[in-house]
Amino acid sequence: MSSSTKVSRIGEELWKTKIDKVNAELVTLTYGTIVAQLCQDYDGNYHDVNKQLEKMGYNIGMRLIEDFLAKSNAGRCANFRETADMISKVGFKIFLNVTPTVTNWTSDNNQFSLIFDENPLADFVELPDDGRAQDELWFSNILCGVLRGSLEMVQMQIEAHFVSDVLRGDDTTEMRVSLVRYIEDEMPPEDD
Amino acid sequence: MAVYSFYIFDRHAECVYKRRWLPRPASIAGKSRPTSDTPTVANGLATMPSTRTTDDDAKLIFGTVFSLRNMVRKLGGEDDNFVTYRTSQYRLHYYETPTNIKFVMLTDTKSPSMRVALQQIYINLYVEYVVKNPLSPAEHPGGLGVDNELFEQSLEQFVTRVLS
Repeated sequence: MSSSTKVSRIGEELWKTKIDKVNAELVTLTYGTIVAQLCQDYDGNYHDVNKQLEKMGYNIGMRLIEDFLAKSNAGRCANFRETADMISKVGFKIFLNVTPTVTNWTSDNNQFSLIFDENPLADFVELPDDGRAQDELWFSNILCGVLRGSLEMVQMQIEAHFVSDVLRGDDTTEMRVSLVRYIEDEMPPEDD
Repeated sequence: MAVYSFYIFDRHAECVYKRRWLPRPASIAGKSRPTSDTPTVANGLATMPSTRTTDDDAKLIFGTVFSLRNMVRKLGGEDDNFVTYRTSQYRLHYYETPTNIKFVMLTDTKSPSMRVALQQIYINLYVEYVVKNPLSPAEHPGGLGVDNELFEQSLEQFVTRVLS
């Protein structure tokens, strides 16, 4: 337990000292505009919108992890449970100022859920009333990509998806994260 | 103190940046272990003609730090890492990020530890100018490498002002 509180203290400390803050509404509105534009571009094909958001997140994550490491000076996590704590209490804390709850571990410690009590991306949002968005669009799907991209850079292949979202009328916003495998070091190509 | 050269290797074992400050003085020509195609002469140094290019150097250095790192980990556990090693000719400093980016600097033998300096280069230069530049690719495949003026200028300044 103490390691978990230590991690949250690290997150708090970083948030207070090292992070440049921007107006939350700017973030919310910018993100909302991106999603709205994608919905238009893909002609309401929400499946593709989800996919595109995930991809954008992936590209963000690949870079964000370096910023995360530079700021937090964090070392490698010993196990996936530590990783989950780090994601919630330091990662989400310093970039979005939220700490989603880590819960619902599977017994093999390879899968957990993040429950978002608050989600700055989704403030002011109402999903389109076309009868499909409520069932198909995962509005904050960019976050899944961010996790996948950033963890891939630290040698973890994961899969992340939302299983519920308050925007759809669910009780909670929950993301499921599963560890697929640890990525081995790449070897340089053989010399000719 | 003199800095001889500096390399960055990415997670795909690709050399994405290299920089040499001094033309290789004859005295450090033997800075990599002699191999069959660079026969060592009697006094061990200096007189052999160097046929290696900077690319070859980068490969040799990668091979060295990669193997050394793996051996160190086998001996000292997964979290162990070597920081520097010294030969009679040069000192190699090594810093690896959790994302497997490797920073390597070669200096003269009298230099103090450069671990903090390498970390500074990562945090203040590489992350700021290369990673955060939205137009620079996230990965640098095919030997294209980091081609970023701000980064190069700042590195130059860092090495000449801070380290000398």
